[in-house]
Amino acid sequence: MENMTNKEVMLRLTDIHKKFGSLEVLKGIDLELKKGQVMAIIGPSGSGKSTLLRCINRLEEIDTGKIEIKNRILAQNNGENVAEYVSEKEAREILSCTGMVFQQFNLFPHMTVLQNLLEAPILVQKRDKQEVTVEAEALLKKVGLLDKKDCYPARLSGGQQQRVAIARALCMKPDIMLFDEPTSALDPELTGEVLKTMRELAAEHMTMVVVTHEMAFAREAANHVVFMDGGVIVEQGTAQQVIDNPQEDRTRDFLKNML
Amino acid sequence: MDNLLNTVVLMLEGTQVTLQIFFITLIASLPLGLLAALGRISEIKPLSRFMEFYIWLMRGTPLMLQLLFVYFALPMVGIMLPDIAAALLAFTLNYAAYFAEIFRAGIQSISRGQYEAAKTLGLTHTQTMQRIVIPQMIRHVLPPVSNETINLVKDTSLIYILAMNDLLRVARTIVQREFDMTPFVVAAVFYLIMTFVLTWGFKKLEAHYGKYDK
Repeated sequence: MENMTNKEVMLRLTDIHKKFGSLEVLKGIDLELKKGQVMAIIGPSGSGKSTLLRCINRLEEIDTGKIEIKNRILAQNNGENVAEYVSEKEAREILSCTGMVFQQFNLFPHMTVLQNLLEAPILVQKRDKQEVTVEAEALLKKVGLLDKKDCYPARLSGGQQQRVAIARALCMKPDIMLFDEPTSALDPELTGEVLKTMRELAAEHMTMVVVTHEMAFAREAANHVVFMDGGVIVEQGTAQQVIDNPQEDRTRDFLKNML
Repeated sequence: MDNLLNTVVLMLEGTQVTLQIFFITLIASLPLGLLAALGRISEIKPLSRFMEFYIWLMRGTPLMLQLLFVYFALPMVGIMLPDIAAALLAFTLNYAAYFAEIFRAGIQSISRGQYEAAKTLGLTHTQTMQRIVIPQMIRHVLPPVSNETINLVKDTSLIYILAMNDLLRVARTIVQREFDMTPFVVAAVFYLIMTFVLTWGFKKLEAHYGKYDK
């Protein structure tokens, strides 16, 4: 296992609280993600793991706490203990180093596979179209879908769509990749190809946070496993510590049902 | 035979007026409808309320009444418009309201996931609307827009009350003069040809926008 202690901190969450109405889904989360770390967040449905992930890139806004990405503050508490976000422009800049892959893929159906990859780098990063096309095609080749570049997403299987979605996020050259249950919407026989792509990414030391139900993936590819339940982190550590030798009853109960 | 030819020539002139009203209304009311739809779903409350009121007013009163109002009431408050401009104003305001509701439904049919994907890729809200939401919306709204467009062809005949010589008014004038019903049949054929061309055009558009389903 690689030693992570001296690595640069990519993401730091401090005492994150989040409510939906009167339901508190995150009850004080502290978390640190280091460069090259592959973090798997596991836990039962409703434990708050997807919400936590979505709070990182502001798809949900936190109520209190502090979010720092690459040492820049995205949100922190004001005097009244309410989280305040930095300006829209600054937030966009800070979050530009994150990429996200969704459970439902969310490809743009009116664009071909290649156009899906090119859209944001050209529109947002104002990069040269030809240069991005070369990179996009290389990424498609890497996920094994170069031959589908002119297809519309509806023509692809779920597994293929998800691999395009990964390539689309990577085309923005993110430093942190966030995966929100990337295989949960897939037929079982299609999860393998997506997990393979993610394993390759992990092997290249991409910094990743993966909310997942795939214990095999968490065990093999993740070097840090976080178990959440009821809006808190129950325990975290290496896969060996958390999955193979859990210390908490709640973790044991959950894993017993999963495996 | 000469008589029929004469009738057709007169009615072609009437058709010109009909088509003029039709095209100008369509070209003006589609973008206006989109703006009204965006205003209607805007988070700026006064704007949204205003659009809601406008749509309610336009859909809640007869187009005929709106035409008469613009034609007769506006001059009383000192706004003098040429006949054709008055007709176009009423038609455009009316159709924009209907298009607005169609566009609003189309925009709201786009899933939240599309907005989220665009956001995580760094697109601004305007970019998301321009590049992701509206292009998908256009395809969803083609069938109802086609419907409204065909309605518009026929609604143009309402301008006969403003004494403008559109297709229907020309037909009626000839019928009353000659005691011959043929012009009505010819008018029906003309309307059918126009709606046929529109139906065909929209079918082509739907096929074009449907290509990414296959």
